[in-house]
Amino acid sequence: MQIRRSGVLAAGLLALSMSAASPLFAQSEKAAPGMPKVGDVAPDFTLKYFDGNERKDVKLSDYRGKKNVVLAFFVFAFTGG
Amino acid sequence: MKNFQQNLKTLEAADTQVLGVSMDSWFSNKAFADQIGVTFPLLSDWGGKMTREYGIYKDEYQAPRRVNFLIGKDGKIMEEQVDKDAIDPTKIVDVCQRPKLKN
Repeated sequence: MQIRRSGVLAAGLLALSMSAASPLFAQSEKAAPGMPKVGDVAPDFTLKYFDGNERKDVKLSDYRGKKNVVLAFFVFAFTGG
Repeated sequence: MKNFQQNLKTLEAADTQVLGVSMDSWFSNKAFADQIGVTFPLLSDWGGKMTREYGIYKDEYQAPRRVNFLIGKDGKIMEEQVDKDAIDPTKIVDVCQRPKLKN
C-alpha cells in the first residue's frame, strides 16, 4: 500500500513537472538563443532620439518603478510594420 | 509602429511608455516618425550594440529582427513577441491593462 501510494505520487509529480515545463519549451522555440527571456531583467541602455528640437537620451532604468516600457524593434525606417 | 500609435492612448493610460528602436540614424527615425504619424520616440541604436545585447541582431538584414518586449515597472521582461507575432499589439495592450500592473 505504501509502495503503491508513492507510485501515484511520483506519477503526479511527473505530470505536474511536464505541464509546468511545456510553456517554457514553447517560449524557447520562438525566441532566438541570445534573447533575454520572460522574467529576466531587461538589459539597460541609453539611446538617442530627436524630438524635433533637440537630441534626447532615453535610459531604460529611468522608467524603473514608474512605467512599463514597450520596446518595439523595427527592421528599417520607411518600411511597414 | 502605426499599430502602437493607434493604441498609444490606451497604453499611456496604463502607465506604459512605448519606444521604437532601430539601427537607423536619429534623423532618419525622426523623418520616419513624421511620415507615418508616430509621436512616441523612435530610438537610434546606431552601430547595433543594444540590438546585439538583446540578441536580435540579424546578419542577413544587418538590422534587428521585428521584436516587441514588454518590460514591467520592476525592469523585468513580461512579454516577448517575435517576427510576424510582433505586428499585432493587442496582446501587449491587454497585459498592460491588467490591474496588477498599476501598482
